[in-house]
Amino acid sequence: MSTCPGCALLCDDIEVVVESGRIKETRNACRRGAARIKGCINRLAPTIDQKPSDIESAIKKAAGILKDSKSPMLFGFSNSTCEAQVKGIQLAKKLGAMIDDTSSFCQGLLIEKILQKKFRTCTLEDVRNKADVLVYWGSDAQDSQPRHLSRFSYFPRGESRQRGYEEDRIAIAIDVRESNTAKICKGHFYRIQPKGDREFILALIDALSGKVPAYEPKKILELAAILKKAEFGVIFVGIGLTYSIKEDFDILVSLADKLPNFQIMPMVGHYNMRGFNENLFKETGFVNRVRFHDTAVHDDKYSIIEALREKSIDALLVAGSDPLSSLTRSLIRHLASIPVICIDPCVTMTSKIAAVTIPCAVSGVESGGTAVRMDGKKIGLSKIIESDYLTDEELLVRLMGAL
Amino acid sequence: MGIDVGKFLKNPEYEIKITTFRDIFQVEAQERDRFGKDYEKLSACIVMSKNDMEKMGLKPGDRVKVANNNGSIVVEVRESKRDEPGGVAFMVNSPWSNVLVSDDTGGKGLPDFKNITAKISLVKEEITSLESLMEYFRKLKQV
Repeated sequence: MSTCPGCALLCDDIEVVVESGRIKETRNACRRGAARIKGCINRLAPTIDQKPSDIESAIKKAAGILKDSKSPMLFGFSNSTCEAQVKGIQLAKKLGAMIDDTSSFCQGLLIEKILQKKFRTCTLEDVRNKADVLVYWGSDAQDSQPRHLSRFSYFPRGESRQRGYEEDRIAIAIDVRESNTAKICKGHFYRIQPKGDREFILALIDALSGKVPAYEPKKILELAAILKKAEFGVIFVGIGLTYSIKEDFDILVSLADKLPNFQIMPMVGHYNMRGFNENLFKETGFVNRVRFHDTAVHDDKYSIIEALREKSIDALLVAGSDPLSSLTRSLIRHLASIPVICIDPCVTMTSKIAAVTIPCAVSGVESGGTAVRMDGKKIGLSKIIESDYLTDEELLVRLMGAL
Repeated sequence: MGIDVGKFLKNPEYEIKITTFRDIFQVEAQERDRFGKDYEKLSACIVMSKNDMEKMGLKPGDRVKVANNNGSIVVEVRESKRDEPGGVAFMVNSPWSNVLVSDDTGGKGLPDFKNITAKISLVKEEITSLESLMEYFRKLKQV
């Protein structure tokens, strides 16, 4: 059995059929996972200034760029093993650089509060064995973490939930859109307007406190009644909720306080985003947006978004991420004016404008290691096939050596 | 011979709210080949309710310009297969939707990726390709 690096569920029941050193077939994996394991058709090659080069020269050039930089940033790492992430943090320390990852514009806000123990949380095995009320809030697991409902939450039989979804579990969706997950939550889909989550939470807090909510009282009171009866409830917080309440995130802490039988779990996309958050938290006490100087300093201005907006970085190393694809276009203007070093297994939009590209192995397919699942459990990654590519961990070590 | 006044008239513009979502088929296409036609086809589109499409005189397969102060793209209209009340359109999270997202975060480092307001209008222009988005970045590099 192999572990899938497709998303932060890290499904460890994947069978892979390998023939002549190539992946022929995957079994049990979802569409997303199978695609990740089978790999991309455009593998990255080493380049300098978009001209063909070799790994050693590319590493040397990258080291030169980082050495000459007065204000470098290291970014990405959500598709890297924990071992590579630790090396990335060491490199940032050595350079006195900023370091940030995709959680900075994803679930970082939530994971930080979970690591600070502001929320009760649990493992996915607890969900499978005990959970009776499941709330998917701003989260379409069916499209983002496609085996979440079938492996852990709604459909399986668990120790205390032998009758599964037919009798023992209720799934609820709160979303702007009737997502594929909401379609499964038949009769328990609560549609809200964009940015309507805060109003919904306040109404729910009122209902849970015995007051008549000002907003859609009938529906909110009905939902509050279901939540109050839960023996072991879980709110799966999706990016939709996190984005919507980002200005007042503590409101979710207030709601969780009103629901003592509920756990909070972040729905994480990239397979090891939580790993990066935990590794940086262990080193610095912060999950992202850090600058190393004499000490580690955390500030919003060290987020990739603000650093690009304020043009405060003069070189960017990207590992396993594609900011050109995932950031707003206006932010990318500054990216075009600074040297970018791109470490990735595949050609990306970012690699196409990078000053230096360095190909690496696909972690969890061509190299093993460790990753952290969305619930915080450490999971081993498998090396499924041999490859000549260096791992991102090895590349970061070599880069440190070249400095 | 009469003058075809219609061709000088601009198609009406409507204000629309857009939220983004994830689509497993688009994610699969991205994993395989983010420069491929499948990824482009599954990304360069806007999903709307039947009600909104009727109000705006749009049909499935029409090409629309979606624009705001942050940028402008041309994408294909798709009719939602769900019972949507209307008022909100949906785009898969992608480099296309990101063209429309403001970088104004109030210094907090987290843009409103899922809360976009834009103007939408019927056009005959080609759908914005990933290559044309890349071209924008390449031109920036030359400046």
